[in-house]
Amino acid sequence: MSGHDSKYFSTTKKGEIPELKEELNSQYKDKRKDAVKKVIAAMTVGKDVSSLFTDVVNCMQTENLELKKLVYLYLINYAKSQPDLAILAVNTFVKDSQDPNPLIRALAVRTMGCIRVDKITEYLCDPLQRCLKDDDPYVRKTAAICVAKLYDINAELVEDRGFLDSLKDLISDNNPMVVANAVAALAEIQENSARPIFEITSATLQKLLTALNECTEWGQVFILDALSRYKAADAREAENIVERVTPRLQHANCAVVLSAVKMILQQMELITSTDIVRNLCKKMAPPLVTLLSAEPEIQYVALRNINLIVQKRPTILAHEIKVFFCKYNDPIYVKMEKLEIMIKLASDRNIDQVLLEFKEYATEVDVDFVRKAVRAIGRCAIKLERAAERCISVLLELIKIKVNYVVQEAIIVIKDIFRRYPNTYESIIATLCESLDTLDEPEAKASMIWIIGEYAERIDNADELLESFLESFPEEPPQVQLQLLTATVKLFLKKPTEGPQQMIQAVLNNATVETDNPDLRDRAYIYWRLLSTDPEAAKDVVLAEKPVITDDSNQLDSSLLDELLANIATLSSVYHKPPESFVTRLKTVSQRAEEDDYPEGSESGYPESPAHPVDGAASPSSSSGSRHPATSPPVAAAPAPVPDLLGDLIGLDNSNSLVPVDQPAPAGPPLPVLLPAAKGQGLQISAELTRSDGQVFYSMLFENNTQSVLDGFMIQFNKNTFGLAATGPLQVPPLHPGTSARTLLPMVLFQNVAPGAPNTLLQVAVKNNQQPVWYFSDKISLHVLFTEDGRMERATFLETWKSLPDSNEVLREFPGLVIKSMESTLDKLAASNMFFIAKRKNANQEVLYLSAKIPRGIPFLIELTAAVGVPGVKCAIKTPSPEMAPLFFEALEHFLQS
Amino acid sequence: MGILFTRLFSSLFGNKEARILVLGLDNAGKTTILYRLQMGEVVSTIPTIGFNVETVQYKNIKFQVWDLGGQTSIRPYWRCYFPNTQAIIYVVDSSDTDRLAIAKDEFHAILEEEELKGAVVLIFANKQDLPGALDDAAVTEALELHKIKSRQWAIFKTSATKGEGLFEGLDWLSNTLKSGSG
Repeated sequence: MSGHDSKYFSTTKKGEIPELKEELNSQYKDKRKDAVKKVIAAMTVGKDVSSLFTDVVNCMQTENLELKKLVYLYLINYAKSQPDLAILAVNTFVKDSQDPNPLIRALAVRTMGCIRVDKITEYLCDPLQRCLKDDDPYVRKTAAICVAKLYDINAELVEDRGFLDSLKDLISDNNPMVVANAVAALAEIQENSARPIFEITSATLQKLLTALNECTEWGQVFILDALSRYKAADAREAENIVERVTPRLQHANCAVVLSAVKMILQQMELITSTDIVRNLCKKMAPPLVTLLSAEPEIQYVALRNINLIVQKRPTILAHEIKVFFCKYNDPIYVKMEKLEIMIKLASDRNIDQVLLEFKEYATEVDVDFVRKAVRAIGRCAIKLERAAERCISVLLELIKIKVNYVVQEAIIVIKDIFRRYPNTYESIIATLCESLDTLDEPEAKASMIWIIGEYAERIDNADELLESFLESFPEEPPQVQLQLLTATVKLFLKKPTEGPQQMIQAVLNNATVETDNPDLRDRAYIYWRLLSTDPEAAKDVVLAEKPVITDDSNQLDSSLLDELLANIATLSSVYHKPPESFVTRLKTVSQRAEEDDYPEGSESGYPESPAHPVDGAASPSSSSGSRHPATSPPVAAAPAPVPDLLGDLIGLDNSNSLVPVDQPAPAGPPLPVLLPAAKGQGLQISAELTRSDGQVFYSMLFENNTQSVLDGFMIQFNKNTFGLAATGPLQVPPLHPGTSARTLLPMVLFQNVAPGAPNTLLQVAVKNNQQPVWYFSDKISLHVLFTEDGRMERATFLETWKSLPDSNEVLREFPGLVIKSMESTLDKLAASNMFFIAKRKNANQEVLYLSAKIPRGIPFLIELTAAVGVPGVKCAIKTPSPEMAPLFFEALEHFLQS
Repeated sequence: MGILFTRLFSSLFGNKEARILVLGLDNAGKTTILYRLQMGEVVSTIPTIGFNVETVQYKNIKFQVWDLGGQTSIRPYWRCYFPNTQAIIYVVDSSDTDRLAIAKDEFHAILEEEELKGAVVLIFANKQDLPGALDDAAVTEALELHKIKSRQWAIFKTSATKGEGLFEGLDWLSNTLKSGSG
């Protein structure tokens, strides 16, 4: 469109659409062209002109290239909203794809790919097929991309029509642009497909390497990315490939450079000759350094990638640390990344220089940057043993400046340094204590308190210092409270005098009675028990020697690092996250996500293991817990049911079988609603029987949707087949309006057995102080009763099977059930204590033998017959109590369905 | 100079193009007829999914000929093309006796259309070269053309591949349109 055409945007007349319609149907070509321009103008400013679809499409068959392009533009935009009418354009596409003008042929095939209408894709295959074999390379390269687009719409069609083979043929094309686009298309298709489609062979390898030197820069990126996925046969081949690719490192386009680096890094894995590797490392340094002279945004991308590269091969940039020094005018995001890399590159050789830089940064104005610089000094101290002393003296200098946030940050890192070099630098504690009053941030406070507790025996007035913190105990954030608790216990154990004894009484009281924080309370209870049972054991636990830490912050796990390195020069390497965590494409990804969820799901809803608070208590501070290797002492199972005085004092039930989980439990799979809010006058109860650690629990969720507080919850179970009953009272805290509580109620069996034929009915009554008694019923699924000792030896199984009369065998078929995978089904069954014994093949069906046992030693011998993936499962069981069979089948069906 | 002359010429005589729709069942020979009229030669065709439009100049009259796909799936969209149409060429495959009844139904449905009230109708009994093809009288009977009231119509025996009968039909059309439009 020429400049004058802007006038088409400024129309104010009414009845625009009919007017345009008329003009589009004008017999004059010029008028029609103007009308189409008006339509496009309206479209670009967001007016809906889709109603003109047929009229615009009717202008499509024209000699005028400009008009044709405009109509194509319109089609791309509106074909989706008019899928039925889009068919009218097909014939024109077919004609245009045979036009003598290659530009029109390419235009047609490109537009076809952009029209994502299922109904017409089939008609477009023939033209696409022709264009893939076109004489003109421009048409071929456009058609190659079109195949990838078509694959996204209808993968099956692409495979049926053999387009994938055509694409693979294009890799051998004599035009490098066609090769590059074919590679790009295949790579994209591969990303959307779970099975291998695009695999480079040694023959295609040569073609790609030749095309690499001749095609455009973006084509080079595609080819390099494809090559980086190629697994060379041996070191020699890898060397050859790398040699052909190294000239790309000099390219002006940073995408080409990064892709080349990625490719070389991948192939380097195979190269064994240290000389060659050293040489390559030398060659890669200058291009990476050059990237840092680009705009800040590109610098950032480069830095994020370099961050990964130095983790894998620190030698590449070992001598280049100076280029990562921050310039005063670098944007903050660049500075932060540079700091990260400086820490990674810091060595005994350059540490003096680096420390000078860090010290400089610590006096800048940007608070976040300063904090990170201070922390960097600490991390260098932890990383480089020989430089630790110099680092600490810099930190002490910084503390002397008395800038509040510098001091606090310094204390946080010094705590880590103490963990790394125990009994080496404690002389500086006195200096730290001077700044005690200025601390106002939780992490800094917690760190300082940890230091006081840890070195209580060396600090004369440790009790005074701690006492000063204790005054404000209830108001402190949880992090500080936890540290205060631990530090006080340490102080008491180290100096069991009267002062600390009073302190600990006060702290434990505070932390158990006057707090809502379950973590704090649990930890306090554990200390309390430990102290009251066996102070010596307490000493062993609390004052256990801690393992030495290393600096692993911001270090990536090696498998993740390798995955990210394979994705250099993509968003993944900038985010430092694997692609599938932020792009959802193929089916396999969702599958993996499920697997990841599984352990979480299976853990949640169970009582929190008692190991956890102990673990937390013995580690120096919860803040550092995440940054140091776990320091759980081997006393995880310490709180055994010990009769103790203190326990009775605070009314804790001794049996220990009762596990109140009145904290907001992690959301597990939702429980089935048994009493809807509508029926319970606003109280909703969801519950399900579960099994964990050999114990049956009633997992319950109470939701208060009323306007008042509900308290005094009680529960009662009616007589039932298995005599299920609660072992203790229901532990539900007063429920405020709008809140909910989850609890696990431990259950016992055979307490109030109902006579008569076995059934699954479980009737429950729940009452509280405010409402009438609510009755609801639940189902007992047999699988929660299967015991952990249900596994049978083969021989025993055979014997039992034979010993039971045939009248004890019950058969049931489930025509609707499908077993998708044997392994996962077996895993699932095993998780519910149905144990696999043997398997045999019968024609195309698999026959599985399993055993299970319900309490009172009633075994179930199970024979499952099914073909994987085919509906229909046959199940035969033999048991001394055949009357239980219906219950068993019900549970099994439910189980296999889920 | 040449361009100027053409412009002058066309402004004197008016370059009004007559809009003509070529309709009919699939495989009746519509596209072949269109290109036979336009280029004078037989082109190989594939089923038209959509439309073809060409300008045909015959005896100083320009016809804007729209050839619409005859597939069942496309027939509903014929109506998009009805406005401002002066003439319809309805093409029948005279040898496809099985589908003559369908051809008749479609034909009469078109005649019912309000937007085509003023359009003249030319019927091509096509594929006369094939053995077993019905002649014009038989096609007239099959399509029940005698039922047409208050509309000018004509039927011609044609063979698009041989080029027979097409221009006779066009002669009739141009004469009718000239006299009709004044």
